[in-house]
Amino acid sequence: MDTFFIYTSFIRALIEREFMQYALVTGVLIGFLAPLIGSFVVIKRLSMIADTLSHFTLAGLAIGLFFINILRLPLGDPLYLGMIFAVIGALLVEVLRSYYKNYKEISMPMVISLGTALSALFISLSGGFTSSVFNYLFGSILTVSRQFVFINIAATIVIVSLVIAFYKQLVIISFDETYARLLGIKVGIFQFFTTIALGMVIALAIETVGVLLVSSLMIIPVAAAMKVGRSFKNTLFIAIVFSETSVIMGLWLSFVFRIPSGATIVLFNITILIMVVILKKLFKHQLIKKKQADEAAS
Amino acid sequence: MICERNGLMRIKVDNLSFGYDYRTVLKNISFSIESGDFLVIVGNNGSGKSTLIKCLLGLNKVPDKRIFLDDIELHDYRQWINIGYVPQRFDDFNYEFPITVNEILTVSKLSKVDEDEKLSLLDRMGILELQNDNINNLSGGQLQRVFITRALMNNPRLLILDEPTAGVDAGNIESFYRMVNDLNSDGVTIILISHDLKNAKANFTHIMHLDDGRAEISNICDIDFGGES
Repeated sequence: MDTFFIYTSFIRALIEREFMQYALVTGVLIGFLAPLIGSFVVIKRLSMIADTLSHFTLAGLAIGLFFINILRLPLGDPLYLGMIFAVIGALLVEVLRSYYKNYKEISMPMVISLGTALSALFISLSGGFTSSVFNYLFGSILTVSRQFVFINIAATIVIVSLVIAFYKQLVIISFDETYARLLGIKVGIFQFFTTIALGMVIALAIETVGVLLVSSLMIIPVAAAMKVGRSFKNTLFIAIVFSETSVIMGLWLSFVFRIPSGATIVLFNITILIMVVILKKLFKHQLIKKKQADEAAS
Repeated sequence: MICERNGLMRIKVDNLSFGYDYRTVLKNISFSIESGDFLVIVGNNGSGKSTLIKCLLGLNKVPDKRIFLDDIELHDYRQWINIGYVPQRFDDFNYEFPITVNEILTVSKLSKVDEDEKLSLLDRMGILELQNDNINNLSGGQLQRVFITRALMNNPRLLILDEPTAGVDAGNIESFYRMVNDLNSDGVTIILISHDLKNAKANFTHIMHLDDGRAEISNICDIDFGGES
């Protein structure tokens, strides 16, 4: 009965409270975009880039807070500066990757360091660890504005349209960059726009789960889907289903138990990953035993 | 049959030298092959075979006016779709993430894929039954055939094969060379890198011996194989 009450109260809150509707729409959109872009990131073995860009975005947010709170500049929401920093960070990674051709991975610690150092400096200059900073670190999906929801919808439409329009090019570049060049695809231009899209998704996802957890939203559903996907499209679909399940269940559980929504979404994501790994091992073990029994019988 | 593929594929290399850092790999190489020719490049490990191929494909940065494809200077050449390439190893390809043979072939043709054409190509290559298989479940030989099929998806006028039979069993080697000879008869220019000329049962027209970065090219009519070819 209690569970029923809690369930209906969540539904009622969704119907009655605007902030809950905004949270759900934002969560569902990011739940779709994050694994969609995350899949291409995982294929290119660039999983660390999500963490790198989220740290660099934090620097933009911290500088934004400093400009708004201390210098009293009319910049609106620090998130806009965060988005610009996400894109700058993404471009910086690309520049460093092409500069250190044989040590491409060192570009990320460099950008993380710069982002973290700038964040620490400007957080301190703008008054230390306020509730805004805490929200940026761990997410604050329940406080998203109507305007932010519209930004999210616009970004989703643009990114999904681009993925559909350039699906073949994106897949071939992700799986085999050399072959993509041989097909005459302008790999550099595609990489540039993909990185910008990645920066945008990360900046938007920060509102949902926060800087420290954003990479998990992009990578973990894909990591779980890889274990069970039968084809590329099938894996993409499963990753999005896992991600959306985590967002909706995470929101519900955080509402029921009054716990942070970002952390709950990520923990639910990790629970799915663990379940997939265990179930796959169990099924594989049973399949081998059945095969051995069949062979022995014949 | 050449007209079916609508065009020529002529290659001219003029005094090409190339190296990595301080090591010169290719030294003053000059040769030319005409449309429909079949060139086999032989040489020991490290003789510069794969480096030469990467130069022809524009993957290595070469000086201006050293390589001409269809009489167009390499850096101005844009019709890369006319060239199919099968690398020696597939290190560049991420075959741990799930993707089926069918999906690889579909994305490898940027224009609209003719399903019947694709299926007949898969059938010809003997991998029709593998079309829905995940790439990470395939053997080395099967993978090789998938990548050759991928190279053929855009109806290339030049097919470059770098040690294509490495890791392929004897039965499949024979059918592979039959397929390559058929393609050449259809007018496709072929460049084949091989370690072992005796086992390369190909109807080649030219042989290039690469030794320590220097090339010596001969027309097949001028060579005495002592009955081995």
